Amino acid sequence: MSSRECQAIVEMRGIVKRFPGVVANDHVDLKICRGEVLAILGENGAGKTTLMNVLYGLYLPDEGEIYVKGRRVSHRSPRDAIENGIGMVHQHFTLVDDLTVAENVVLGAEKFRVFYDLEKLAREIDEFMRTIGLYVDPLKKAHELSAGEKQKVEILKALYRKVEVLILDEPTSVLSPIEVRELFKTVRNLKSTGISVVFISHKLDEVMEIADRIVVMRGGKVVGELARHEATKQLLATLMIGSRAVNIEEKFGKRVRPAGKLLEVVDLWVKGDRGEDSLKAVNLVVRKGEIVGIAGVAGSGQRELAEAIYGLRPAWRGRILLEGKDITRAHTVERIKMGVSLIPEDRLRYGVAAELPVYENIYLEKVHLEGRKSLLDRVGLRVLDKRGMVDYAKKVVEKFSVKTPSVFTNAGKLSGGNIQRLIVGRELERKPLLVIADEPTAGLDIAATNFVRKTIVEMSEAGAGVLLISSDLQEVLELSDKVVILCNGEVMGVFRPGELSMEEIGLLMSCAKRMSKEEVERAWGT
Amino acid sequence: MGYVIRIRPKPVKPLAVVLAPVASFALAFIVGGLLMVWAGVDPVSGYTAFVQGSLTTFPGFMQTLVQATLFMLMATGIAISNRAGVLNVGAEGQYIVGAILATYVAVELQQTLHPALVVVLAMLLAAIGGALWALIPGVLRGYMNVNEVVTTVILNWLAYRVLQWIIRGPLRLPGPQLYPMSPPITATLPVLEPSSGLNAGLIVAVALAVFSYLMLFNTEIGFKIRVTGSNPDLARYAGFGVERVVVLSMSYSGALAGIAGGVEVLGNLHYLFEGISIGLGYTSIIVSLVARDHPLGVIAASIMFGTIYSGSSFLQTATHLTYTFSKALEGLIYLFVLVTTLFAFYEIKLVKVS
Repeated sequence: MSSRECQAIVEMRGIVKRFPGVVANDHVDLKICRGEVLAILGENGAGKTTLMNVLYGLYLPDEGEIYVKGRRVSHRSPRDAIENGIGMVHQHFTLVDDLTVAENVVLGAEKFRVFYDLEKLAREIDEFMRTIGLYVDPLKKAHELSAGEKQKVEILKALYRKVEVLILDEPTSVLSPIEVRELFKTVRNLKSTGISVVFISHKLDEVMEIADRIVVMRGGKVVGELARHEATKQLLATLMIGSRAVNIEEKFGKRVRPAGKLLEVVDLWVKGDRGEDSLKAVNLVVRKGEIVGIAGVAGSGQRELAEAIYGLRPAWRGRILLEGKDITRAHTVERIKMGVSLIPEDRLRYGVAAELPVYENIYLEKVHLEGRKSLLDRVGLRVLDKRGMVDYAKKVVEKFSVKTPSVFTNAGKLSGGNIQRLIVGRELERKPLLVIADEPTAGLDIAATNFVRKTIVEMSEAGAGVLLISSDLQEVLELSDKVVILCNGEVMGVFRPGELSMEEIGLLMSCAKRMSKEEVERAWGT
Repeated sequence: MGYVIRIRPKPVKPLAVVLAPVASFALAFIVGGLLMVWAGVDPVSGYTAFVQGSLTTFPGFMQTLVQATLFMLMATGIAISNRAGVLNVGAEGQYIVGAILATYVAVELQQTLHPALVVVLAMLLAAIGGALWALIPGVLRGYMNVNEVVTTVILNWLAYRVLQWIIRGPLRLPGPQLYPMSPPITATLPVLEPSSGLNAGLIVAVALAVFSYLMLFNTEIGFKIRVTGSNPDLARYAGFGVERVVVLSMSYSGALAGIAGGVEVLGNLHYLFEGISIGLGYTSIIVSLVARDHPLGVIAASIMFGTIYSGSSFLQTATHLTYTFSKALEGLIYLFVLVTTLFAFYEIKLVKVS
């Protein structure tokens, strides 16, 4: 869509938003046209989400003006924004777990009612969803939904409030490839009904696929605005990253021959949070110097597998062996001491202790790795070597380029991307024998992603075993020596990258096909 | 699945740490002054008495320190358990149990053993008793996720009932008394200043506060406590044995409250009666709040609260104001301090728990 045809529904002029120490938005102008898909592209901390939070009324701008349909507005809360036809779906969902889909959709949109007929409500919502063409069982409770379904409900919530501009903040970060395709279909659908969609992302491929117009932000400013046909990946990457030379298609070739067995998982059964069988009879081998990738639709048992191997979730059947030693019942401490490290998927929960300084957050598990000599040490009164902790943290911060004012800053003040770097640094710098990397690059920008991938490959070259869990199938195929496909908690297939076509992999991921026992055994044998 | 109110310290500027309590005092004094006018007392002379009874005169200040000792012990313990993310509302009960056990040991052994030995044994048992009393809610919370606020409050009542029974039963001083009480304790804590009865309890309290500070910020267990309090999921992920950290910090908290009970009977009263339980354990929660759960801050905050306590007591003696009025004024100040510091120092959030 060229600017000539643009019928502006929202116009933001000279928006400035400052936070202590940073200017998140520095005189930003932005136009949203009717019925377009506008992508706002930028690395973490470029100011994309802040800008949209200003529009959505979550932040008041320090300077600047907002016009909706030519009328000057001031959004003091999301309620104001919604009244003006602007809705937003955040990365973290805001559904009430114990309420049904139908209740979640209407919650807050209507007057408070003490009594209502749930079935009637469900029928209404059912009909509403059918007219929109976006369907989730209205009587399901929110906690029973997958991430993709939750996102649909969030979108439905906004549409129910009759928004004309729908802002999606990094909507694909929680979705599997199949769910992403569905989301894109929804976005195109909405567009055809005249709704404008703002798509915040740092992923070039997605932006190239879905957007009509792309606005690139860097360091709080708009640094480029292109129609899709004008854009190339390399051009966008250069705009996004600036002068820093980064090869977006960097390859990480291999390296060493895997040696003896490091981790062996035998007939593992694990329960999920709601008592269901999350893993069923899973067998797995990771050799020294080998990267084994786990791929599958989100919620196929990846998180449970990582937690079971790390000792956060009990196995009710089966065995886990590390270097031949049975660790099925070993406490997490024992596993940490034996050299197991986990980059957890749920960074909000397991990320950092927000009120503690960066250096203590980096030290974390190393507390177990120091000797206990005297009696005081043994009763837990070992005096910590603060200088050593600080020096070590400085090394990690530098090596993994964690952006922080100092190692004494509280970890809670760091941005999401930097917390992720801190975690990766903490887990990799203590020279583990086995790395369980659960979505290690989710939410990272291109440069940081490349760095983490390179580090993981280097670790395996140095002899560590890596279990790489990722919803980015490309990442799994590119980095792994072997790939395991999980579906519904079962191993559907094991193969080397390149042995199967994307279609075959897709079938395995959706439980539509299962490799034979012989094929799987052959794959493990090599 | 449910919701809890999570109160966490938030970063504040050093000036605010001093300013917030001072401002709350000023506010409380203004309102208190209005109350005095209404009660027919000149606020200037009222507050003069308040300050004389707590700060500007030597006996007044000694009285403040006597009171501060108890706050210091209990609030230090509460601060440590708070740092682990457990709210010990049971200091009052643990203090009662400590007082009972200390009295029991003293009364039983003071005729046969050397007084110094009796004091040491009594204090030790007071600490153990308090720790065990706190161990119950600690275990329930740590291993079974039972809300510690509910259990500690229940145990406070149980401790109080035991106290009522014990001074009428096993530890009763025979003969007619004004009120039920234990036999006098002769094996007492060394006195530092005779007129006020200020005793070695203060030294114990300061030493424990300093020790707690060092433990919290410089040792392995302190590190684990702080990580657990800040993010229990992270602590579990790091293999810290969250259950044990919870139980340990709760017991430590109880031990300190138990010692406070020991100090009250062995140092201040020299006998046991129902009147030892006047809610100091609850007030100590506010003390630790004002100190932002920092053991060294607790020392300062305890002296501040000791001032309020002895000041308002003296106010009653010096004017014709009633006991209830002075108590109301005291409560008013606590309320202002609580509200001001709560909002100035803490982030209050409703969070979902599963």
